[in-house]
Amino acid sequence: MLKLIIEKELRETIGSSRFAISFGICALLIILAFYVGARNYQVTRAQYEAALAENLRQMEGITDWMMVDQHIFLPPLPIAALVTGIANDIGRTVEVHGRGELTAEGSRFNEDPLFAVFRFLDLDFIFQIVLSLFAILFAYNAINGEKEQGTLRLTFANAVPRATYILGKMAGTFLALAVPLLIPLLIGCLLLILLGIPLNGGDWGRLALIIGAGLLYFGVFLTLSIWVSALTRRSASSFLLLLILWLFAVLIIPRSAVLLAGRAVDVLPIDEIATQKSRLMAQLWEEDRKVMANFRPSQTEDTEAMLNEFNQFMQDQAEKREQKLRALSERLEEQRRNGERLRERWALWLARLSPTASFSLAAMNLAGTSLMLKQQYLDAANAYQERYAAFIGEKTGGMLRSGGFVVRRIGGADNQPPPIDPREIPAFDYQPPPLPEAAATSLADIGLLACFNLLCFAGAFVGFLRYDVR
Amino acid sequence: MQNNAVNAGNDRPSAPVLAARELSKRYEDGVLALDRLNLQVQSGEIYAMLGGNGAGKTTAINLFLNFIDPSEGEALIGGIVTHRDPIAAKKQVAFVSENVMLYPNFTALQNLDYFSRLGGRTGYTREDYRKVLLRVGLQEEAHAKKLRTYSKGMRQKCGIAIAILKDAPAILLDEPTSGLDPKAGLEFIALLQELRDEGRAILMSTHDIFRAKQVADKVGIMNRGRLVAEKHRSELEGEDLEKLYVAYMAGYMEAAV
Ligand SMILES: Nc1ncnc2c1ncn2[C@@H]1O[C@H](COP(=O)(O)OP(=O)(O)OP(=O)(O)O)[C@@H](O)[C@H]1O
Ligand SMILES: [Mg+2]
Repeated sequence: MLKLIIEKELRETIGSSRFAISFGICALLIILAFYVGARNYQVTRAQYEAALAENLRQMEGITDWMMVDQHIFLPPLPIAALVTGIANDIGRTVEVHGRGELTAEGSRFNEDPLFAVFRFLDLDFIFQIVLSLFAILFAYNAINGEKEQGTLRLTFANAVPRATYILGKMAGTFLALAVPLLIPLLIGCLLLILLGIPLNGGDWGRLALIIGAGLLYFGVFLTLSIWVSALTRRSASSFLLLLILWLFAVLIIPRSAVLLAGRAVDVLPIDEIATQKSRLMAQLWEEDRKVMANFRPSQTEDTEAMLNEFNQFMQDQAEKREQKLRALSERLEEQRRNGERLRERWALWLARLSPTASFSLAAMNLAGTSLMLKQQYLDAANAYQERYAAFIGEKTGGMLRSGGFVVRRIGGADNQPPPIDPREIPAFDYQPPPLPEAAATSLADIGLLACFNLLCFAGAFVGFLRYDVR
Repeated sequence: MQNNAVNAGNDRPSAPVLAARELSKRYEDGVLALDRLNLQVQSGEIYAMLGGNGAGKTTAINLFLNFIDPSEGEALIGGIVTHRDPIAAKKQVAFVSENVMLYPNFTALQNLDYFSRLGGRTGYTREDYRKVLLRVGLQEEAHAKKLRTYSKGMRQKCGIAIAILKDAPAILLDEPTSGLDPKAGLEFIALLQELRDEGRAILMSTHDIFRAKQVADKVGIMNRGRLVAEKHRSELEGEDLEKLYVAYMAGYMEAAV
């Protein structure tokens, strides 16, 4: 009996012209999303390589390691090109001196606003919109449509248990819609290979999990639609109701969650931090100037020793300044981060009332482009800065560019030092959190999607047991 | 509860296939749609329920199919109380509803196949379907067409074919002739008689007094949820059923005012 109902559901769904048209559009959009993602990757890759080359070119002819202006860049990641998350909004370039605070600048959208226009075509967005609409379009009249065409009456004039029927209905609809969706998804994956996007094993794992989360998300809207269709008598009303629910889930809840959390939780503004820091900086400079004016070398015979002593003194001053600044900055940043974290937690958990937000967060966590990306990138940059400082320190005998100034004795023209070889500089590489870690961070959202499924499934089930089939 | 005395002229001793005992339905909004209905349909008998709009005919049929629960009394199919064991009861009954649309994206053959299987009949061949469709008057070229292209009458015929294929001892029909043209109506009457002669118990609701008289073994006249008269075929010989109908209706209308 169950098999018969599933079979009928499959044939009825796939045989309809509604299916042919909407599946066609869906498939096209999904493939397009993969294509755009691949192109996006290629473009960012090219930009990244150009930036690297430019960085090296700037170092040409430099003979002093202390004059080096090292920049590191956020390398493009294939999965991040598919689910862009905040990857295009955060700065990608970091100037590294070996000391001091790092800031990432030059986001892709900032440099190239054109791409901000196309952001909507990533896989995340396509899934959010297309999968939910596809599910609604096919299941909004799952139950009340059969009532309207009288087939429900005819069905239940037979010895059909209601539970069997609704189970068959849900399983059949899901299979009829989800299995065909795998085709464009596979074509999309093939496209990635054909376009030469370098995906490693972990990347494929991420992609598979993103697709899995997408199917769960699809399941939510499918069971929700069946539920609503089992609560209403007329298919027109269930369609309307589902469109309203869709608007709330996709557009209204996630956005208002962020707005609400923004209102509810105060975060120390960036400007405020900058003001406090520059005030302290000015004050420290003022003090240092006095100290410098009072600098007396311990002996005055040997100019070389005198210079070294002066430089050492300056280094020490810089170090102290740096320490005080860092202490203030750390305190303020900590304060800001705490506020931010609280606000973020509120915003995200409120947003998770919507399965769309859950899916999106899961996808971004898996792709490594969630809100954490900014911090993770900066952490990687900071770790790099230490290695870089050690390297430069070794090359210059302990001297770093300090934001202060250093007096160098210009040697005679006869012993001009050879130009540096920039390729010796340690390379920067950024790796997103490894797959198990990414999977673990997305677990909450995937679990939430599963709960949404369960809830709507139970709702549809119970709703149908009490449904008036006449 | 016992067989009601209205069953005058019932000379068959066998147990009825379809029976209503004090069957009543009051809807949630307080409307008493069916008021202590008692009727019996034996195997090999056609029972026609006549009555104006809102008389309670569809309500009675819905109670037999357990689409709704009775407020009082019970409906039985083959001795099984339908609201106690609906699954077992429904194995014994085929149903033709008014205005059935069937699955518009399926052909007649596909619709037949699906509903036969749902009714537990898995052994049919394509040839069986073809034969039954021809029998109900659907021409060969329509068999493989999607139901969406069918007229109301053609869908009705398809619905009747589905009921025949279920091969159940009891058949319930809610206004089965409403979409049929005169010729199809005539063919349908002949078909009903064939089914009766096969030994099925048939309960139908209709507005068509003329056809009811032609085909029914018993005619029940309903008004405002009550069975106000029940006439056996022998009592109708030479009677003008239409006059009788109007007279009963009028009598009860007056009584109700
Ligand atoms: N779901 C319902 N809720 C409340 N009242 C109902 C419901 N269904 C039917 N009724 C009422 O029950 C009464 C009987 O209705 P029913 O449909 O059985 O009549 P009928 O004899 O089949 O009429 P028709 O010839 O128009 O088909 C009517 O007064 C109707 O308004
Ligand atoms: Mg009716």
